[in-house]
Amino acid sequence: MVETPPPLTLAVGDRVVYPNQGVCRVTSVESKEVAGQTLTFVTMKREEDGAVVMVPEAKVRTIGIRKVSTRADVERVFSFLRSESDKANLDWKQRARTNVERMSQGGLLGLAEVVKGLQVLSELRPLPTKERELYDNARHLLVAELSAGLGIAEVDAEDSVDLVLFPPGRERPKRTAEEFRAPAGDDEGLELGDELLGLGGDLEVAGEGEAEPAEGEAEGEAEEAEAEEAPAKAKPAAKAKPEKPAPAKAKPAAKAKPAAKAPAKKAAKPAPKAKHKAKPKAKPAKASGKKK
Amino acid sequence: MIRLVTLDAYDPKVVDRLCKVLYTAFGVGCEHAGDMAVPAGQSEPFDAETLLAALPSPRAYADDKVLYLTQRKLKPRSLLSGELPTAGFALQNGPRALVSSAGVKDPEAGLKIIARHAMHQLGHTWELHHCLDPRCAMYPPWTLNFDAGDTFFDTFCRDKSEQKIRLAKS
Repeated sequence: MVETPPPLTLAVGDRVVYPNQGVCRVTSVESKEVAGQTLTFVTMKREEDGAVVMVPEAKVRTIGIRKVSTRADVERVFSFLRSESDKANLDWKQRARTNVERMSQGGLLGLAEVVKGLQVLSELRPLPTKERELYDNARHLLVAELSAGLGIAEVDAEDSVDLVLFPPGRERPKRTAEEFRAPAGDDEGLELGDELLGLGGDLEVAGEGEAEPAEGEAEGEAEEAEAEEAPAKAKPAAKAKPEKPAPAKAKPAAKAKPAAKAPAKKAAKPAPKAKHKAKPKAKPAKASGKKK
Repeated sequence: MIRLVTLDAYDPKVVDRLCKVLYTAFGVGCEHAGDMAVPAGQSEPFDAETLLAALPSPRAYADDKVLYLTQRKLKPRSLLSGELPTAGFALQNGPRALVSSAGVKDPEAGLKIIARHAMHQLGHTWELHHCLDPRCAMYPPWTLNFDAGDTFFDTFCRDKSEQKIRLAKS
């Protein structure tokens, strides 16, 4: 059974938080006729720049609009920031997904999690541009809400947060990738999953479906590799990748993929070449190498 | 435009060099707008927030930023999460910033430190938040190696400040 949250009743002058936008003030609640229907609209003004947004009252909850956090919520955030939960997710895809979810949900604790997670990650390596922007946005929204919730200046709210994240007199820790790695059991589980996927790759459709994420992942990895400023570390990792997937595992995949891939991708090339066995065999081996 | 106002006597060479550093960092003009006395009723160590609010503004345009420079100490600020050593203060997106050079014995030799703090506080007036890069001037200024750093903004902060300055041009 899904619990439906109680409806949020808003009145003129209330301060609310609009996910991903920041603190807004309700300026009017009025009924309007739209396409023959009478709807109640809540008009909000963003405090930061005065931007105006109108939201149907029925959608207020689903969008994630909520009242500004109380002092108790703020204290919970500070105890989270002080806590030792300093694990960062090294999988860029998972990390991006969870961070975007947290931002769109708009919870104060979610924002704090984004800020702390990325701050911890930055102790391992510089953040890629997109994540640096995300960090700045999350920090901006967090600071704005803390300042609104506590009735203090934004600069004081920011300094309060950073006093916890960057304590005075303590050097910034230097982290290693090993600190963030998941336990060995998890990796083995993933490998088994890959094998199972490989077996299922006999089907043409499955083969095609598999190829796309591999490319996306490779792009993401390349982006991360670019962002890394320690070339010494990045190089051995890049070298190791193509060498790894040689054993038995690569072969069933190689058999499955050419049938699905070759005719579609090499359509412009003459037919006999596409059917040629040597070429397709080389391609999937590379793709599976990237995937690992 | 950045207008630098000194609340104590500084060597003109120091002021000149500081203006040059700020001009290079933000890409907007910086000039010494004169000396000013600390308003009555303020005692050392100053409460940065109160002092900044009490200081009169020199003549300036709407998008100008005013930087007050003093040799006297600022009181640590009491925040929700503890007490914060304070070497400067500025409100986010505010028009004015205050920097103290009390921690620097010889302003000429320690100009880099003063300039780094000035860049930090002026950065706040252009809506920059604290940065993750320890080399950047927007890194939290109470951290151990902040004073050892260079007068430098990382790419993200430089781009953001340039954008804000461009948008604010009157």
